[in-house]
Amino acid sequence: MLKYIAKRLAYAVLVLLGVSLIIYCLTRLMPIDFVKNKVTAVQTSGATVSQDMVDAMYASYGLQEDAGIVEIFQGYLNWLGDLVRGDLGTSFKYGIPVAEKISMHMGTSFVVALIAAIFEFMIAIPLGITAATHQYSFRDYLVTVLVMIGISLPAFFFGNVLKSFFSMQLGWFPSSGLVDATKDYTGIAWVADYARHVFIPILTVVVLSVGSRMRMTRTNMLEVLNSDYIRTARAKGLQEKAVINKHAFRNTLIPLVTSMAGLLPSLFSGAIITEQVFDLPGIGNIALQAMNAGDIPFIMGYNMFLAILSVIGILLADLMYAVVDPRVKLE
Amino acid sequence: MAKEKKAAGYLTGKEIRAIAKENRKITKRLEAYKNRKAEEAEFLTEMKNPENILEIEDLHTYFFTEQGTVKAVNGVSYDVPKNAVVGVVGESGCGKSVTSMSVMRLIQGPAGQIVEGAIRFKSWEYKRDEKGQPIAFGDGYEMVEKIYDIAKMPIHEIHRIRGKQIAMIFQEPMTSLNPVFTIGEQLDEVTFIHTPGATKEMAKAKSEEMLRLVGIIPENVYKAFPHELSGGMRQRVMIAMALAAEPRLIIADEPTTALDVTIQAQILDLLQDIKNKIDGSILLITHDLGVIAEMADYVVVMYAGKVIEKGTVYEIFQDPKHPYTIGLQKSKPTMGLDDSTELYNIPGNVPNPIDMPDHCYFKERCAMCTKKCSGDYPGMVQLSPTHFVACHLYEEEKENG
Repeated sequence: MLKYIAKRLAYAVLVLLGVSLIIYCLTRLMPIDFVKNKVTAVQTSGATVSQDMVDAMYASYGLQEDAGIVEIFQGYLNWLGDLVRGDLGTSFKYGIPVAEKISMHMGTSFVVALIAAIFEFMIAIPLGITAATHQYSFRDYLVTVLVMIGISLPAFFFGNVLKSFFSMQLGWFPSSGLVDATKDYTGIAWVADYARHVFIPILTVVVLSVGSRMRMTRTNMLEVLNSDYIRTARAKGLQEKAVINKHAFRNTLIPLVTSMAGLLPSLFSGAIITEQVFDLPGIGNIALQAMNAGDIPFIMGYNMFLAILSVIGILLADLMYAVVDPRVKLE
Repeated sequence: MAKEKKAAGYLTGKEIRAIAKENRKITKRLEAYKNRKAEEAEFLTEMKNPENILEIEDLHTYFFTEQGTVKAVNGVSYDVPKNAVVGVVGESGCGKSVTSMSVMRLIQGPAGQIVEGAIRFKSWEYKRDEKGQPIAFGDGYEMVEKIYDIAKMPIHEIHRIRGKQIAMIFQEPMTSLNPVFTIGEQLDEVTFIHTPGATKEMAKAKSEEMLRLVGIIPENVYKAFPHELSGGMRQRVMIAMALAAEPRLIIADEPTTALDVTIQAQILDLLQDIKNKIDGSILLITHDLGVIAEMADYVVVMYAGKVIEKGTVYEIFQDPKHPYTIGLQKSKPTMGLDDSTELYNIPGNVPNPIDMPDHCYFKERCAMCTKKCSGDYPGMVQLSPTHFVACHLYEEEKENG
């Protein structure tokens, strides 16, 4: 087992190297130049910028004007060298170390994503099971239609609908931000205020994402319910409830666990659009702004952080797979 | 034109929608009947012959499909006497498995439904007080004999019958065990379900006893998962599972079909052995005449959802009457025949199950067909106290003689 994990981790390093090279090249090839943007901004304010100053700026950010393949590759090696020394670099846009910026905003995204994921599972799995056990019934159609509506709604639209309804019309929840700027809450009151702020974003995320997991549960459950061993369980004299909850559910769990591989990175990646709509200082929001500004160290740091989480997520899913399915042996 | 299309099996969208609407109406009513709450008195009944343990009478099990209604079991009647082995033979799709699934009420709704008929079963169960608790009597519990009409039972009452009274061995041992539970867990479960106050130790002891009975050393297998066993071993486990609650009737639905020949022989030996050891009956479903000849006391021959001949094993094998049964006997390979002799086969095919003719279903394939065969479907003719055949040939014989 330990040997297996060690082997997988060794492969993971190779995968991450490849991923980092691709992301770095893609980022450098983006038609956004941080220095050029900055220079343009200064020029529009009326000041003049000499070529020397521009060159000095490029040099200070470790970039080149109109970089070729060689320069990009050199830049990559520099970035990699810093990374090996444990330095993700300093964000161009925010002016503080990338690692610090990520950890500053990760919490908000994580709380929203974790609570949303918990609700998502709590809603999607029972719905999927009832839809499967009552296949082609009114209940099945109702659930399926509702979650399909959820899947089909774009986040920016549905988020704004909820915002206008709950915040503007009813006034139950604040429309944006994470804290009430006019108050200085502590303790329970702070938690309550926080909860009020994240309620609609979480609701948005849950409604949008519950569908795919429900559909997956339903499909797997139906497949399991048609299998021979379920017939055996019924023939034994087990009550239908026990057949579903014990024999069928345990088998439905296998593909559900595999799907959890994607859960770990999604907990930390932030909901880019939802965070924009509700103006939450989450990592998704920050990353999008960094992307628009061509903030290479931040984009690299953020993407590598997600890549590492993805690799770990897949490894954990494989380990869990062996736990829920006795036929799987990790060699 | 329209008629030609229909003959080729094509349905227009309008026709499909009409069928679906009609199906929904019927299955909704039958599902409601299946899920109803009912007093026990409503499904208690009496046996026609007290020597029988199971009496199936005029059973109709239909599948309401988008193409039309498939009458998979279309008026089947046969009995299983106490301590006897009844073999049901017939080709694939003749309704023999669907009949046994109907007895267990394992037909998958809403499409599959028992539409009509009675399945009377003599159950031997714990006498229960008003709260539904078994009444203690000496070391065990007081027992009582009750006769249920399984076809009329609400589905939530069926667990009284399944496993405890009637157990089933399935055709596919490779897929019939739950892959995520150990053999021990799956065997113990039977005891937990059916024995009041069963403890972990009791269940384990019972499971090990059953494994030994089917020729497995429990130490090696109790903690194993199904995928670690071979097909033959898994079928033994299935048999052990069926025996664990000491049922009165075991339905073996083609228990050897999915196994290779040497394992088949072992499993049949095991069933023979068990037949002598248990106090109960076996309903053996197979398309292998050799297996029937070896095991069965009584034989039921089915064709296209109907029973066409039934009798004792001697009557069916030495004096088959129905042209189909005769054909079946002839198409059995025999040792020592000249190489040039071609094996006999019954010509033609079974008619389309959705569009069954009004006359005898075997007419088109029958070598002894007469004018009368174009008339109504033949009724059952009794040839001896135990021998029945559904064929026009013998109606005349009876009338004349």
